[in-house]
Amino acid sequence: MSTKLTLSIRGLTKKYKAPGREVLVLDNISFDVGEEFIAILGPSGCGKSTLLRIIAGVEKPDSGTVEFHLGREPRVGFVFQFPTLLPWMTILANVALPLLARGTRENEAREKARRALTLVGLGEFEDFYPNELSGGMKQRVNIARAIAIEPDLLLLDEPFSQLDPLTAETLRSEVLDLWLSSVLSLKAIIMVTHNVEEAVLMADRIIVLSPRPAKIVRDVRVDIKRPRSRKMPEVQELVDRIYEYVS
Amino acid sequence: MVPELVVATLLSLYRMFAAYLLSLLIALFTGIAMARNRVVEAVLLPILDVLQSIPILGFFPVVLSAFVYGLGPGLGGELSAIVLISTSLVWNMIFGVYASIKSLDPSFDLMASVYRIPLPLKLALVYVPASRTSLLSNSLISWAGGWFFLTSAEVISMGTQTLKLVGLGSFIFDASNRGDAQAFAAGMGVLFTVILATYIILWNPAVVKYTGLTILPGVMAVFNALERLTRLFWRLVVKAILRAWLYSRRLVLPSSTALVLVALLGPQIRPTGFSTGLLYGSLVKYLNMFLTNVWPTLLRVYVVLLVSLLISLPLAYLSHRRRAVGLAACTAGELLSSIPAMIWWPLLLPVAHAAPWFVMFFVYLQGALWYVYFNVMIFGLQYVKRDIIELTDVYKIRGFLYFKSVFIPAMLPSILTGLLSASGGAWNASIAAEYIAFGDFEVDTGGVGSLIDKLAAQGDSLGVLFVALYMSLVIVLLNKLIWGRLFARLGARFVVD
Repeated sequence: MSTKLTLSIRGLTKKYKAPGREVLVLDNISFDVGEEFIAILGPSGCGKSTLLRIIAGVEKPDSGTVEFHLGREPRVGFVFQFPTLLPWMTILANVALPLLARGTRENEAREKARRALTLVGLGEFEDFYPNELSGGMKQRVNIARAIAIEPDLLLLDEPFSQLDPLTAETLRSEVLDLWLSSVLSLKAIIMVTHNVEEAVLMADRIIVLSPRPAKIVRDVRVDIKRPRSRKMPEVQELVDRIYEYVS
Repeated sequence: MVPELVVATLLSLYRMFAAYLLSLLIALFTGIAMARNRVVEAVLLPILDVLQSIPILGFFPVVLSAFVYGLGPGLGGELSAIVLISTSLVWNMIFGVYASIKSLDPSFDLMASVYRIPLPLKLALVYVPASRTSLLSNSLISWAGGWFFLTSAEVISMGTQTLKLVGLGSFIFDASNRGDAQAFAAGMGVLFTVILATYIILWNPAVVKYTGLTILPGVMAVFNALERLTRLFWRLVVKAILRAWLYSRRLVLPSSTALVLVALLGPQIRPTGFSTGLLYGSLVKYLNMFLTNVWPTLLRVYVVLLVSLLISLPLAYLSHRRRAVGLAACTAGELLSSIPAMIWWPLLLPVAHAAPWFVMFFVYLQGALWYVYFNVMIFGLQYVKRDIIELTDVYKIRGFLYFKSVFIPAMLPSILTGLLSASGGAWNASIAAEYIAFGDFEVDTGGVGSLIDKLAAQGDSLGVLFVALYMSLVIVLLNKLIWGRLFARLGARFVVD
């Protein structure tokens, strides 16, 4: 991957105030993001999602900075753990919503939303309502919504953890295809997960976080050629090695 | 008589819908602001709690005088009628919106902030649709309360003056005062028809469509058309918002809208021109009056609540078992609960001489029962899910055990909500129930309600205000000390849907 910087994260610290005490969630997190797919791996509740929200700009850190090197306002797509679709709107309207909020004209927004839905294989379902779709399809809409805004950075918050194993597998390879095919203007992906295998199979780089407060334990480059599979010895070896860092 | 009746009906309908729209706007803004802003919540929740459970009727002469003297009897009377009807509609609508936004999945808020969805768009596309179902269900309950208050709203008495607005309520009131049996019957017939029609073509289809409840009879066509129209209108609203957003990306809709609401809602009653000594004297005088009269009312209120439960629960059970019973029970309930208070008098007159307490009790029940009844029927039965029914069938859980371990626990949240609203309703009804003057017949059973009526008849607004305030204080204390604790104890089971 190229070494061109997409964003730099410097010294992020975050505390939560509980009654009578403060809980440190993030402890001095710093790393650079190039044009690459990064997996952030850590135990449940370690503050991974908080980190993602800070990068997305919806939560403020107590100290530290997130700086994009794009020379303009960055576009950030976010795939939530749960589909988070508004049940009273068609999936087309759901996908178009962030575009409208950005000030895109309605026709153009619909066009872009349609294209995004086609990319995730739901082109024919645009008039369906979320409750008429399966769990996997809803998660696809969630992804379509994130890529419809033509993001520079895509944030994925354990996007496959709520799906059955088969659907998760299919969706993983679809996300990878989208990333590798460069149909998108995407510069980087940051995916939060607690699934070691998923991280090794998908990412160019894995950042391992400690239990709360989250600190960076390891920063591992994954130089295994694609397409990767579970059976490849180097995949298994790396999975084993990373399990040691995690535990 | 016919043209008169048509005009009266149209005017009453217009008042009902105007009051409904007013309540809808207040409910949406207040409910959403409370659910989304902690400061607003902390300020408004206790205020609404009080407003919901105090005898609004007691405060009304004061507010009405302000309207009528400020704006003249025409506009002032019209506005005060609409506001009076709203006070019987708005409370459960506010709480309905509040509960549904409060229980909205927080990930929607995360989504909205990640994609920087501006507040007006968020209101129109997330919050308002999210409160739709509970708003409609609560509207159905409120609607009956509105009709119930119709005559009181159209025939407003302030001290010695009476202001009468043209409408169905005043038409029937006049007819019965004149002893014109034919006009009375015609008025009643039209009233029943209009009430039933609004339920069958509007509220029942709305609730059926959004909750899947099957025990409400209705015709879908008109509602469907209306819904399409509303959707179209809403789409235009969203478009307008977007356009405004496009032209000025800095469109600021301050979240302090809510604060303005607080200022508007805060009652502007400030009796002026009293010296502190005089004020203190009146405080004590009215406190004594209040204390000697509060006990019978207190007892009656709780008896009425108990009877309301004893009527509602078995009916709910039967409705649950047989849809036909449910359809009949709901229709009867919608009709009976809507019949305006004053219309009951002539109907009750024959028994009134022999048993005045029965008339009192009946009016009390009319003011309280329906909150329990509809909460249990509309919300409660939804909690008794199909899988629970299968479970009880498989293990043959029946009779008392079924009631104790399945039916009542499943409906508990709605039973409690219903009882709380009903307690407010019962206190409010005491004013109408304990002192009844109809023609040359008078029922006076004593109590705080009767005290307020007599003070109002003497034109003693200050007395009415003080007694109503004391009454509110007692109700709030009871709610906090008894009901609040009971609620907290049952809290684990208290699910807000």
